[in-house]
Formats: sequence, structure tokens, C-alpha cells
Amino acid sequence: MPLTVTDVERAYPGFSLGPLSLSVETEVVSVLGPSGCGKTTLLSLVAGLDQPDRGTVALHGRPVTDLPPEDRGIAMVFQEGALFPHLSARENIAYAATDTDRVEAVAATLGVEPVLDRQATALSGGERQRVALARALAADPDALLLDEPLANLDAPVRERLRGELRELLADLGVPVVHVTHDQRAAAAIGDRIAVMHDGGIDHVGPPATVFTRPATAFVARFTGSTILTGTVTRRGDDAVVAWGGYPLAAAPSTLEPGTAVEVAVRPAAVGLGHPSADGDPATVVAGRVTQRLFEGDRHRLVVAVPGSDEPLAVTVSQDRRPIPAVGDRVTVHVPRSAVHVLGAGTQGLSPGDTTENP
Amino acid sequence: MSHPASAREVGRPDWVRVTLVLGALLAVYYLVPLAALLVAQPPGAVIDRLATPAVQRAATTSVAAATVSTALATILGLPLAYWLARSDSALTPVVTAVVVLPLVLPPIVSGMLLVSVFGPASPVGAVAADAGLQLTRSLAGVVLAQTFVASPFVVVTARAALADVDPTLEGASRSLGKSHWTTLRRVTIPLAKPGLLAGITLAFARSMGEFGATVMMAYYPRTLTVQTWVAFQSLGLDAAFPVAVVLLVVALTALAVLTVLGTTPWDA
Repeated sequence: MPLTVTDVERAYPGFSLGPLSLSVETEVVSVLGPSGCGKTTLLSLVAGLDQPDRGTVALHGRPVTDLPPEDRGIAMVFQEGALFPHLSARENIAYAATDTDRVEAVAATLGVEPVLDRQATALSGGERQRVALARALAADPDALLLDEPLANLDAPVRERLRGELRELLADLGVPVVHVTHDQRAAAAIGDRIAVMHDGGIDHVGPPATVFTRPATAFVARFTGSTILTGTVTRRGDDAVVAWGGYPLAAAPSTLEPGTAVEVAVRPAAVGLGHPSADGDPATVVAGRVTQRLFEGDRHRLVVAVPGSDEPLAVTVSQDRRPIPAVGDRVTVHVPRSAVHVLGAGTQGLSPGDTTENP
Repeated sequence: MSHPASAREVGRPDWVRVTLVLGALLAVYYLVPLAALLVAQPPGAVIDRLATPAVQRAATTSVAAATVSTALATILGLPLAYWLARSDSALTPVVTAVVVLPLVLPPIVSGMLLVSVFGPASPVGAVAADAGLQLTRSLAGVVLAQTFVASPFVVVTARAALADVDPTLEGASRSLGKSHWTTLRRVTIPLAKPGLLAGITLAFARSMGEFGATVMMAYYPRTLTVQTWVAFQSLGLDAAFPVAVVLLVVALTALAVLTVLGTTPWDA
């Protein structure tokens, strides 16, 4: 395992991280979590900028926990780039470069040749992050850590760089840990996502699994699912959960009938109107729109359903006409695959899951 | 457009104007004596006086001692400044207070304390004297006095400059494979340089101007300040002025250096 973090703990006044374990192959793992969950602390411990109270960090089987940052071979790209302001872009990259030829090479990779002679302080946000990344690559690291590299960029720059990062990091051939609070960035850049919550990791898995089969209610909420509470009435491949007055057809679950459960429903999978006949089996629910938000590329409707005080969220394509307004009565259908029963009992039925540290 | 506004303000004190007058008064108070000194002292008289051996010896003593004191303050002060800037130890307020003590202590009192530690009657002074080193009434005495009084300027100013360097930049350098020492040399110190030089300049200027502690530790060899005092006592103000002009030039040069560095500590 190229980069392994094992049972790491670090306590500060008012916050403690871990015990936390994470293994990163030659891949990109996006650590996703809200601010204050310990993402940056985790990176500092891996980089050696901070020391864990307990636990170990190892790179290619070699323990590095007791090594100073410079002897670990782990380069870090900081949120604002952390370029040296007294140096030009070229000097920043050369500072880290193992040999001078590398400066031009990494500058070409990141497309920053035109700004190489500019002072670091004169670069735009996107240029700054590119130079910071070029500088980290110039050090020829054995592992790369990225702390919210896209967080402070304007949307168009962020989206372009996100796409480029995906390709660049995949070709790098070293373990990469990418920290972000943005689920889109996490999914776009990471081969796997590790969702962090209160200093621990709730769920590690491929983006599709984390989003559609979240391990905990926190992961479900943080990745945009709606949480409903109900009771299992049937188990197995055609599981059913009673929610309000509705028998919700749910994704496979081994939980016994009678178990009180939370289910995660993805708003994007919920549809307006009746399901098409050839589609996934779905539960049809009638309700009233209580809120409508235009999110730029789609609408988000909140639908109150009689018999439950938990509303359903539905996302609707902006092309759809008409878009129901607040107060309108609507029919929505919840496909079986969009209803994920939280809690134990999915292992035997979903072999694709790679949940660690439940 | 300005008419209604000024109509509204009729009868109100014009605070901007009051502030300007008060400030101007103080500025004039600073500048007039300076101008008077420069006008009252014909350049010929100053140059003649400067040519006397006593003044030349005093100038040599002052410059030599201030150079050594500034070097000592820098070598001993910068590590302490860095520690104060970066440490979150509970000791930092205590250490800061100790560093600032010589700044708030009247120099003559500092001189008395130093004499009691380094004087010929003291154990330290006696041991040094046996080894052939006079700690009072010597260049060493001048250096001890100046270092005591002037080194806090290096520590306090450098600490502020070093604290302004974002620790993230040091972390970035370390994670790029550079040692702590390389990071200091190539990132921290270059970024803090204006502030560090300001502290060193202030310490040199303060050393050159040191009188109270110096006169207690070493009446001989005379520094320029002691020489000025002696000339004033024995021959009067006119005899003392030419030497004072030299000290004034040193002070103005230091001011010019600080202005060029752009980080006058009182701006911060």
C-alpha cells in the first residue's frame, strides 16, 4: 500500500482527530468533509507539519511518522498556493526543482510558461494554483497532498482546472490525497472518496457508491441526499420501508421487518409525474410544492407530502416545462434504486461497496 | 453640491482643521531646534572641532563599540526574536517582558545595575580582571552598556517582522524537501528582511546615542555622547555643539535608512 495512515490520533483543545486510518494506492483519494472536520489536520499529519499523538504514517511501507517534513518525500499544495511572494513564478518552481530541466517540464505540463517571469504576487488565482502545483511536481514527490486547491477560484477557472487536474493526477503515478468540502470537486477528481466527519472517516468508496449508497446519515446529507425515517416492512432484494403512509420500494437490504431505519433518497433520482412503464419500480407520492430554488442549471423543489412531516426534495432539469410553482399540487415518483436504507445489512447484497471505518 | 453640506456644518468645530493645527504645532516643535542647530553651527567650526584628536578618538570609540554591540544584539537577538514569533509557549509573555525591560528602564539605572554585576568589586568583574579583561572603564564596558540598552530594538522589531511571515510558507518549503535551516535562509529571512534591517539600524542608532548606562560603565574611553557631555560641562554649549552635530548626522542617516526600508517600527 503506497500511503497508509494507521490509527492516527491528534487532540487539540476543543477538537480531536481520529483514531483514523486511510490507505491510498497509486490513485487519487478525495477527502470530503465540512470545514472543521479535520481534513487539513489530516494533511498536516501526513506531510509532517504536525505530529500525531498516536498512530503511524507510512509511505511505500517505510514509516515516516518520526521524519521531518523535508525527509518524507510528500509534497503539499496549500489552499492559497503558498507561493513565496518574494520570488517569481519561475523561482518558486526552481526552488523545489530537483534539477533545472524540470522547471521547464513542469511549467509546460501545467501551461504556466507565459507567466514564469511574473512575480508570484502578480498571478491570478488560477495561475497561482497552477504554479503551486508545478512547484510541488518539480520536487518529484513520492506522494502529493492537495488542500482545497480549487476553493478560492472563480467558477469558470475552477471548472476548467478541475478537469485538467483529473487527467494530470491520474497520470502522476503517485498516491494523491485531495482535500475538499465540495462534493463535485471530490467526485470529479477522486478515484475514491473518503467522507470525513468530526475527526473520523465515515465512508470510503468510489464516488458512485458514496453518493448512492452512503454509509451513514451524515454522508447521505453531506452528499445531497434527503433523509427519511421509517420502518422496514419487507427485507431482501425487493425491500420495502414504510414512510408516512407510503410503502417505499427500497434498494436491497437485509434488515429485518420492524426495524426503525433512516433511508437516503437522492433528489436527482426522484422524478416528477408518473414513472415510465419500462423503468425501475417506483413509489408514487402526491404532495404540494413548498419551496422552489433555481440553482443555475436546474430547479430544486421541496415537496410536502401528507402523512409525513419530512418533505421530499426533487431536482428538475431547467428545460422542463412547466416548472411547478410553490403551492402547486404535484405527483412524484421515487424509484427503488434511489431509496437507500442506511445502516448495517447491505454488505451481503452490494458487493461493490468498499466501506472502511464504518 | 457643497453648499447644503457646508450650510449644515455652520457652527460646528472643524475637526480636520483643529487636528491639522495641533499636529503642525508638534511637527514645528520637532523641526525648529534641528534647524536652529544646523544654522547656528557654521560648517567651518564643526569641521575644526571634528579635527581635534579627542573628538576623533571619541568617534572611533563610538563607531567601534556600536558596531560590536549591534553585531552582538543581532547574533543573540534574532534567534530569540524567531522563538518569540513562532512559539506558543506560556513563557513568551514573560520573556517579552524581560526583553522590553531595558527599554523602559532609565539608562542610568541600567548602568548602575551593570556596574554592580560587571564592576571591579563584583565577582564577574574580578574574574575578568584577573584574566586581563577590564569590564568597566574600557571598550568592553561601552559594548556591555550599549548591548544592554540597544539589543531590545533588534528583538522587538525582528519579532514583529518574523511574525508577519506566514508559517504556511515555511510549511510549504519544508514539504518541498528543504530543511529548516534552508527554509529560514531562503524564505523566512528574505521575507522579514526589511524589518530585520530596521531593527538592526535602530539598535545601531541607539548604541551611537547611548549615554546614561555608558557613562556609568565607562567614562573612559569616551564615546561621542560622553565627549559631548564633557565639552558642555567644561567649555559650554558652543563647544559641545559640533560633536552634537555628528550625532545628529548619525541619527538622520539611520532615519533615512529606516525610511528607505519602509518599515519604520512606529508605522506598524
